[in-house]
Amino acid sequence: MIKRKFNRKGQEEIVGFVIIIALVSVIVLVLLSFMLTKKEVAAVESYEVESFIQSLLQYTTECETYTEFLSFQKLIAYCDKEGVCLDDENSCDKLNFIAKEIIENSWDVNDESAVRGYEFKIFNEEGEMFVLNEGNKTANYKGNYQDFVRSGEDYKVSLTIYE
Amino acid sequence: MVNRNHQRVLHKSCNPTGSRRFSKKGQMKIQQMAFMLIAVILLFALVIIFFLAISLQEVRRTATMFEEENAMLLVSKLANSPEFSCGNSFGSSRANCIDFDKIFALKENLNKYQNFWGVTKIYIRKIYPNDKVDCTEENYPNCGLIKLLDKNVNSTSFSSNFISLCRKERDNNLIYDKCEIAILMIASEDKG
Repeated sequence: MIKRKFNRKGQEEIVGFVIIIALVSVIVLVLLSFMLTKKEVAAVESYEVESFIQSLLQYTTECETYTEFLSFQKLIAYCDKEGVCLDDENSCDKLNFIAKEIIENSWDVNDESAVRGYEFKIFNEEGEMFVLNEGNKTANYKGNYQDFVRSGEDYKVSLTIYE
Repeated sequence: MVNRNHQRVLHKSCNPTGSRRFSKKGQMKIQQMAFMLIAVILLFALVIIFFLAISLQEVRRTATMFEEENAMLLVSKLANSPEFSCGNSFGSSRANCIDFDKIFALKENLNKYQNFWGVTKIYIRKIYPNDKVDCTEENYPNCGLIKLLDKNVNSTSFSSNFISLCRKERDNNLIYDKCEIAILMIASEDKG
């Protein structure tokens, strides 16, 4: 009688063990299948950010001076010197408008794309000169910067894309 | 002696309670063993699947890295090749700068270059200003998309990178360098 009771108890424990293992297996398999088949959104690569800054600095703006149409790079220095374009528009307003337009056309910020937000900054020798941001800052981001010298002043342009 | 043993064996096998007890015990042992085997197999399967998943992710990460590197190299190679690059036409030499005028001339005489780059599609799309019109002789340069190469074969998804699209522009009597932002998109033949 006692022996049968012990056997039965042992059997129940083993059945319990098997059930727990089976349950854990099912849960882990479901988690793994989610992990392996999750929809991949085209991620942002850091070389893209680098190329973007390079191309942006070469962009020819509509800000005309007596000698030329300024590139974005030259417009930064012109804005720093509080210059005014030939059409009487403030160079910093033009810089703000162009930067916003170009970044919004290049990086689609929304919940369904890979880009959740961005932060664009321009630094001069005194510190932060211009900031533009949109969307949310997340822990996953790609960023890059480029520095240059114009009229003896050091400038740095940085862009961070949050995913 | 032989007879007595024979009788004992007969007695044991004919006793219904004894036989049931023995077979029940054996059945239970077999059941226990079966349950244990199932549990152990499940456990091993789980561990193997877990390691496979980790190694698969590692393989995927490496594949993505190679793909990214390859795309970047290919796009940069194309953007800086003599057929595309700005060279010194726009002042100093610029990285990732494509000569719009050169590209448009190339588009009109592309027959010799069909298999030159080893890709199936080469598109250049202006980002800003955002024109969506295909480039033709009539609307050049006020257009947004140049389909430089567009082979009708199964292709991979596009690899792309930002470039400067520069050309010479005339404003009254002033000829100046006009650079816009564009994306160079490349697709290769899908052999899979």
